[in-house]
Amino acid sequence: MGKQFNGSEILLESLRRENVEFFFGLPGGVVLPLYDALYSSGVRHLLVRHEQAAAFAADGYARVTGKVGVCLGTSGPGATNLTTGLMSAMMDSIPVVALTGQVPLPLIGKDAFQECDTIGISMPSTKRSFLVRSAADLPSVIHQAFKTAISGRPGPVLVDLPKSVLMESAEPTYPTTPGVEQLERIREWTDEDLERAAEMILESRRAVFYVGGGVIAANAWQELRELAELTQIPVTTTLMGLGAFPSAHPLSLGMLGMHGSYATNQSICNCDLLIGVGVRFDDRVTGRLKDFASLAKKIHIDVDPAEVNKNVRVDVGLIGDARETIHALLGALKRHLREGKDPAPPVRQQWLQRIESWRSEHPLTYDKYGHTVKPQYVIETISRHAAEDAVVSVDVGQHQMWAAQFWEFHKPRTWLSSSGLGSMGYGFPAAMGAQLAFPNRQVIAIVGDGGFQMTLNDLATVAQYRVPVKIAIINNRALGMVRQWQEIFFEKRYCDIDLSFAPDFAKLAESYGIRGVRVDHRTDVPDAVRDFLSDREPRLIDFWVDPAENVYPIVPPGASLAEMVVEPPRVLVEEEEALDDLWAV
Amino acid sequence: MQWLIALETDGDPITSCRLMNIFRRKGVSIVTLAMAARPEGFSVIAVADTPESAVEHIFNFLRRVEGVQLVTYYRHEPLGDASFVFIDADVDSSSIARFLQTFPESKLIFASHGKYLLEIPGDRKAHSASLDFGKQEILPFARVKTSIPQPELVTAQAS
Repeated sequence: MGKQFNGSEILLESLRRENVEFFFGLPGGVVLPLYDALYSSGVRHLLVRHEQAAAFAADGYARVTGKVGVCLGTSGPGATNLTTGLMSAMMDSIPVVALTGQVPLPLIGKDAFQECDTIGISMPSTKRSFLVRSAADLPSVIHQAFKTAISGRPGPVLVDLPKSVLMESAEPTYPTTPGVEQLERIREWTDEDLERAAEMILESRRAVFYVGGGVIAANAWQELRELAELTQIPVTTTLMGLGAFPSAHPLSLGMLGMHGSYATNQSICNCDLLIGVGVRFDDRVTGRLKDFASLAKKIHIDVDPAEVNKNVRVDVGLIGDARETIHALLGALKRHLREGKDPAPPVRQQWLQRIESWRSEHPLTYDKYGHTVKPQYVIETISRHAAEDAVVSVDVGQHQMWAAQFWEFHKPRTWLSSSGLGSMGYGFPAAMGAQLAFPNRQVIAIVGDGGFQMTLNDLATVAQYRVPVKIAIINNRALGMVRQWQEIFFEKRYCDIDLSFAPDFAKLAESYGIRGVRVDHRTDVPDAVRDFLSDREPRLIDFWVDPAENVYPIVPPGASLAEMVVEPPRVLVEEEEALDDLWAV
Repeated sequence: MQWLIALETDGDPITSCRLMNIFRRKGVSIVTLAMAARPEGFSVIAVADTPESAVEHIFNFLRRVEGVQLVTYYRHEPLGDASFVFIDADVDSSSIARFLQTFPESKLIFASHGKYLLEIPGDRKAHSASLDFGKQEILPFARVKTSIPQPELVTAQAS
């Protein structure tokens, strides 16, 4: 008989075999056996102050590394506190494994203390979930959980661990597959499908690449760039795709959709071929569906067959790994080039010039000469001074959209955003996870005052472990995006958006042992940013920005991209005085 | 339009729970459903009202759910050219016997709790018109989509 170990030891060894560097968690009753094993295991664990932060941190880690992020919560409330983070990972297809404690097996279903139906509660927010029934099952379950999280369309997986299993003795048998997984990359398209797509590209005169998170998940950005340059077809990205294509590249269009630029949205409205790669035709991108890219034929490359033809009917669906598929498309087009058919005919330059004219008509801009601190100016300044490989993590709201518009992206896996779920509170803990993945890189959390207040308790984690994350609060003393919608769509009937009752964030940071400053004058911004980024310590700047600033362009709900509003309406002089009293309620 | 969805899943009841939740969330209006346990897992058949425009998406969604091993979609074909028949013996317990008398060579695909899915032998399709199709308990279907594995697997090192 071989050596016996308890379930906790087997679990930790299984995590080690999956190359887990560390995980984020918070102990509780039923996971005490695990923490006892952790005490002498050498596996690194970071204590958070709320399990939601653990889930967001695991998500941030996964986005920057491409590896599985791991979080842990105890049973009952510990597990339910992970749910928002899991749902965010599910919506954005991020590989996370959540370990949850559970009451001992004989007590399941008996409404025991801190018991809940974790599997049932997390079912819609996970790709797969497991309830482990014996310690001997742990190695195969953990291996399967990691493989599921990262294969095909990535996503979160939950493993529910009864206390009795964590304490039970067993002789483990670990899977023999190597640490570097042999992933099966599914390809369902045929050579005929691919050839048809290549021909559509060759025939097009006004094509656009519409690129999303799937390109980053598939590590396909180099292939994408090569394809864009070969064909001279411009590239727009979704919120999830930011960083997949360099902002400064001549073919870069930036973001499309509800808060996309005028030029980008006009490109979509007027293109004759739309090539979607790793996207899902989300409502924030398409606007009114029937009018989305209505002049264009469509090609859709995606690993998830359920996304092809879900929202928008396409002419060619290429179901498969994005990297493999783009590589194959490159091969087909290069073959055509050798045969004399140029994938980048001169007509492409006319299209690019037309797009440039749209850009000149309505560039992304803001009032650069006003006396207030403009949030866009803060974000541009930080972007200008940040390293090229800096990671920027945003929360949800106006600042998120301004960061998407004004941050200059150089590399993939440098943008963290809860895009699909839009979960406030995400930005700061996700930054924490990213910083721990890359301790020597700049990681900057750009957050709103609303979202930051949801997870600021983990300033303690940052202080405890001296995580050198930089926190920039875009503080407009309001739930800014909600205020904007109430202003534009609800006739300025402002209701419950006032966040002026808030702590002094700089002093709060100082109370945690983190240097904090407030900046409320435009001329102080550059020096403050330079100082902020100058060291390897956690820092916080509370930027007091113009509370009346709105995000433009905006595509109103139910409207098509062509109906975007590019600038604020001109106001009469007497109305300007009323703007001073924004919160009438 | 009526469709019959046949699924096979692994033995984990969590997968079956996921399926029901998916039907609910995707607006699949279930007319009748039966489930059976096999040594390898569970089999489920459901007759559902679904707009044709939603079928492709739901089929693709179901076939990539973790734990689902096989998905097959059948379209209701009331005009006689059907290769498959769904019989709900709860309505008329004699219907299965009558059918087997008419088509003794038919192949049983699924049977559980009075719900049967059978395949009519190829050379008998033309004769199927003689059956009293259109009755509630005997519904003819044509198989239109199946997830029987065919895609090319390109094995690659994880990057």
